[in-house]
This record gives sequence, structure tokens and C-alpha cells, in this order.
Amino acid sequence: MSLPLRTPAGQGPLAFADELSAQATAAPDQPAAPLLHLIAFQLDREEYGVAVSSVREVSRVTDITRVPHAPEHIRGVMNLRGRILPVLELRTRVGHPPLVPGPKARVVVAEVHGRVIGLLVDAVAQVLKVPSDRVVPPPDDARAAAADYLTGVAQLDQRLIILLDLERMLQPGPVPHA
Amino acid sequence: MDRDNAFAELIHEYIAECLPVAEGVTEALLRVERQWRDGDREAEELTALKGQLHTLKGNSAMMGLRPMQAVAHALEDLCARLIADPSARTPDSAALLVEGSGLLTDLIRAARETDDATAAEVFVARVRAALQAGASEPAEKPPPLRLERRRADRRSGIDAGGTIRVDFRQLDTLLEIFGEAMIEQSGLPNVHRRLRAILGHCDELAELDRAVGALGATMKRLEGALMHTRLLPISSVFARYARMVRDVARDERKLVRLITEGGDTMLDKTILDRLGEPLVHLLTNAVVHGVEPEAERRRLGKPPEATLTLRAATVADRAVVVVSDDGRGLDSGRIADRARALGLEIRSDAPEDIHQLIFAQGVSTADQVTELAGRGVGLDAAAVAIHALGGSIEVRSAPGEGTAFILSLPLTLAIVRSLIVEVDRERFAVPLSHVAETSRVEPATVHEVGGRGVLLWRGSALGVADGGALLGTATRSAERNYCVVLVAGPRHRALLVDRLIGHQDVVVKGLDPALGRPHLVSGTTILGDGRVACILDAAGVVAREAA
Repeated sequence: MSLPLRTPAGQGPLAFADELSAQATAAPDQPAAPLLHLIAFQLDREEYGVAVSSVREVSRVTDITRVPHAPEHIRGVMNLRGRILPVLELRTRVGHPPLVPGPKARVVVAEVHGRVIGLLVDAVAQVLKVPSDRVVPPPDDARAAAADYLTGVAQLDQRLIILLDLERMLQPGPVPHA
Repeated sequence: MDRDNAFAELIHEYIAECLPVAEGVTEALLRVERQWRDGDREAEELTALKGQLHTLKGNSAMMGLRPMQAVAHALEDLCARLIADPSARTPDSAALLVEGSGLLTDLIRAARETDDATAAEVFVARVRAALQAGASEPAEKPPPLRLERRRADRRSGIDAGGTIRVDFRQLDTLLEIFGEAMIEQSGLPNVHRRLRAILGHCDELAELDRAVGALGATMKRLEGALMHTRLLPISSVFARYARMVRDVARDERKLVRLITEGGDTMLDKTILDRLGEPLVHLLTNAVVHGVEPEAERRRLGKPPEATLTLRAATVADRAVVVVSDDGRGLDSGRIADRARALGLEIRSDAPEDIHQLIFAQGVSTADQVTELAGRGVGLDAAAVAIHALGGSIEVRSAPGEGTAFILSLPLTLAIVRSLIVEVDRERFAVPLSHVAETSRVEPATVHEVGGRGVLLWRGSALGVADGGALLGTATRSAERNYCVVLVAGPRHRALLVDRLIGHQDVVVKGLDPALGRPHLVSGTTILGDGRVACILDAAGVVAREAA
């Protein structure tokens, strides 16, 4: 005898699944999961996000001066209102080819460990609020390749946003070689 | 917390006020010690010194700094005794004074960190023993001192000359703000040019032109005045060395005296602070390795007491400091042997060329390793420190006559007159102090010898570096039109660049820690068009020739 798919009392396995998905999309009665405030930006074909709390501003890309014999992944330095800002080539830092900046390119000015550093990105998408329960751990191979600063992947509608922990990625001292 | 801050501020003031006094007393006592050893047992100077010690005692007591108070008190008693009793004026008692005043200086200098009383107690006990061992207590009571009014003036921060004391950090802030203003100002001519291209000639533009020119002149004067506030006489550094030389000489059982000249030469405080270490190296080296022991000097017919000279002077926009001794001179043969053993390249057998090798790592002139020097790290470390300051160091020596180290230093570090050059459309600032010459270069005049570029310059072969290859500006090698001859100490090297843009005073900005310590770049600056340029470490470029 086969198990009835839907019992009148609503106790069948599909009803259970319905209930789960209803919770995940609406969850009206549950206390809301804490929201992560992110700045999302584009690197190559991927979308990445960093915590808003560690970002000071987003600046247009002015001339970036190369520094001879600078550590790997340092794109150069730029003049941010009279202050000289080191700019990190974030693309190569996370394993993409270097950026040829177009009109949408931006420098995300981050403050980490008391230091201010610019992150060169293809384009900045938006500021997002993501419920923390939408974040899943990064896939194992990504974790192995990019070490511990990839903290998770946020799922939002059709988008996947890779979360970067700047505190971990930018340890004090010179930017480490890959 | 407020109380702690207030106390820290008071301690800061105490050190600022007392340290120069204590150093001055030590220096004067060293003179007294010398006089007495030479048999001239006058005590005139002691009266004034005793007054200064009294002031130090009072200030220390006011701050509750007992060790300093006790040492100053003991020294005061000892002075009173020596003033009253000529028979007590022995070299030993003078040495005791010098030692105590040195101790007092050290205690004051370290007042922020420690108030360890052990050394002070030991010293006070020794003075007490010395006073008892002698005759009776001083016969006459010393006259009361009238120092209170001067003290009161000093407290207000204003002395009779109308000077005020300002925390140096405020001057740093001022300079930083001035630097920003200078960068903004340097962008004006550019805007002006663009305006003229749009508007053509008109009266308003001519007026703007005049205003920009006047602003430039005023900024130049402001810079001069600002730099002037940062200058300190080099004597503030010299004062520390008299006692150090004496102590090292005593450990080495040598007779050495230090003469200082040109103490009123003014240098930026930042440079003075960083000059201290290299000078300690040079003076220690001179006492330990440079001068002969007394017996040897007598045998050679030299005065038994060796003379070290520390001389400073301003020459154009540089300060020159010379450290010289009248010792045995450098041993060219031994230096050459040592250099060969280390595998260093020896240019020629000329003594001048060989002497410069002592600045190379690992070359030492001493036979034995002593506690202070002779480990072969002193001179190369000193040279590195001087080069890092944008200065140069060279040595001259004659056998049996002595050795002189000649240091040439910039007067300031914050604003550096530079030559702006372009390599593959990237601009770099080259400090003018390291530029010997610039010229157009015909590619045909650059030859290749043993895989290296060589150029004939002033009759000798000069190593050539392609700017693009050295700085990684381009992947292809290009034909460059200009040559900048760089100089660091005795060495030269030609750097090939595409264009010479012009001279400019650049405001030095440091390197962000994220950049590490990149080779060949000593700092960054912002040019008139707002772009950032790297400042070339010219000494590094020249040194890289060997690599």
C-alpha cells in the first residue's frame, strides 16, 4: 500500500515541505533573523559583499600611481583629497585577472585595523540588508583556495553574494603575498 | 585620568626644563676635571654650577622626584666643600662630580619611565663618605642663592628674550597643513593655463596671474619661517657626547678630549633626533679604534692626550658635520684584505677608494671585538642611517695623522627640492641632493660591457640603468632621451629617463604600511596636477649597481 500524498489532517510529507518553504520565505511569526548590512560590488563576473561598518566611502577612480616593487596585489596609490591612499587590486587578491578600469569602476575606501585602504572594484551595486539566515558556508573548494576571509555566500533572489571579511583579509603589516 | 594627564604634562615640562641644565652642568664639570688634572685647581666655575644644581634640586623636589633631588643635593654639598677647601680639589673629586652629574642627567632623561632610587642612593653614600674622609665640614656657609626670580619667569613659559615653549607636535601639525596648502597652490598654474586657453588674454586673467604669483612668493616666505621654527642648534645633540666620549675613553684606558665647534649650526629637529645614533657610532669608533693608547702616542711624539673634534657648519642648503680624530689613521692594507675576504669589489688601489670600503657591511678596522664597537656593524649602520636622511658620508684619512668622517645633511626633511622625471609616462621625483648632472643622451653613446650598460662620463665609465627596467614601468625596452647622473657618497650611476619635467619643491608624504618597504622608493608626494608620484630612493638606485 502506498502512503497517501496528502492526508486530510495535513500530516503528509509534502505538507511538511510546504510548511518549511512557507517559513523560509515569509516567516511571519518567527523573530526576524539579524540583518547583515552589506555593500555589494562586482569583481569579474562575481558579486561580492563587505560589511558596511568597515567602509568609509566609495570614490571614483582617479589616477592610480603604480609603486615600483610594491607588494603583490597592490595596484598603487591615489590622491584622496590630499591623503595618499594605497589601493589594493581586489580582483587578483581573490583569484581573478586584474581589472582594466572602466567608467563604472570604483574604489571602496575601507577602514580596517585603524588603517585606511582602497579596494579597486569593477562596479558598486548597492547597499543591501541580508537576513543572516540566508548565508550559507562557502563551498569547500573556495574555502581551500581563498583561505579564511571568505566567510559565506548570501542567497538573495537569483543572486549569490560572496561575503568577504576585510578584518581577516587585511592583516596588519604589508599585504601578504598570496 | 585628568590628574594623570596633568602629571604627565608636568613631567614633560620638567624634563624639557631640567635636561639642558643638567647637560650643561656635566659639560662644564668635564672642563673643570680637565683643568684640575692639568694642575690648574681653580674653582671659580663651581659657584655658578652649584647654583644650577640648587635649581635642579628645587625643581626635582617640587615634582616629588626624590632620587634626582638627593643626587643634586649631594653634588651641591660636594661643590660647596670644593669651593671652600682647595686641598680637596683633586682629579678624583672632579671625577666624582662628573659621574654624579651624569647620573643626574640620566635620571632626568628617564623621569617619565622610572624612579629607581638605587643608583642615586649608592652615589649619595659615596659622596657622604668622600666628604667625611676629607677635613672638617666647609668652613664658611655658602652665600644664599638668588635664583627664585628667574625660576618664576620660567614657570610662565616666557623668558626674558620673549620666546615661548611650544610642543613640537604642534609644529608638525602646522607643517602638515602647510604641505596641503602647498599642494593645492601648486595646482593653480595648471588651472590658469586652461583658463587662458578658453578666455585668451584679458585684464581679469592678468590680475589673477599677479595674485597667483604673489601667493607663491608668500608661500615661499611662509615655508622659510615655518622651517625656521623647527630648527634647533646642533649643540643640543653635542652636549650629550662629552660625557660619552669620556666614559668610553676611561673604559679603554685612553686619554681623549672632545672639542666641539659650530654648535650654533641649526638643523631640523627631526634630523637632529635621527643623527644621534650615527654620531655615537662614529665617536665610539674613533675612541676605540681611531686613537692610540697614551704610551704609544708618547713613543710617536704625539701629545699624550688624543683630540676628537666634532665640528658643524652650514654650507649653502646643507649642514656639514665632521667627526675627526688625531689617531693612527685607517689601515688601507687591512681594509683591502678584509674587503677581499668578504668578496667585495675593489675599484682601485688608491687609498681614497679603499677607505670608502669601511662603510660596507662586515668590514671592520679593529683587531679585537670589544663591547662597544669593532663588530663591523657600526660604520655600515651609520652610513645607512645617514643615507636614509638624504645625507652622505665620506671618510678621509692619513696614516699616523688621523681620520675624519664628513657628513653632509639636508637642513630639513619635510620639503625636498626635487627633479621631476618621466619614464614611460610615469612621473618620479628625484631629490636634487642626489642629482650630479642631467644631460641629453644619444643612444649610441651608451655601450654594453659585460651585459651592463656603460656611459663615458667625466672621463670614466659610469654604470647605466634604464629607468623602465629598474622601475618596472614598461615591458619593452625603449630608447630614452635623457640621462640623470645620480650621486650617493663617492658613487655615481646614470639613470635613463624619457623626459625631464622640471624642478619642484615636493612635500614628502610617507609610505603607507600596506606598501611594505618597496625597493628604490623612499616616499610619495602629490604633484601640482593632483597625481601622486613616488620619490626615488636615489641612494638605493646607486647602491643597486653592485647587485
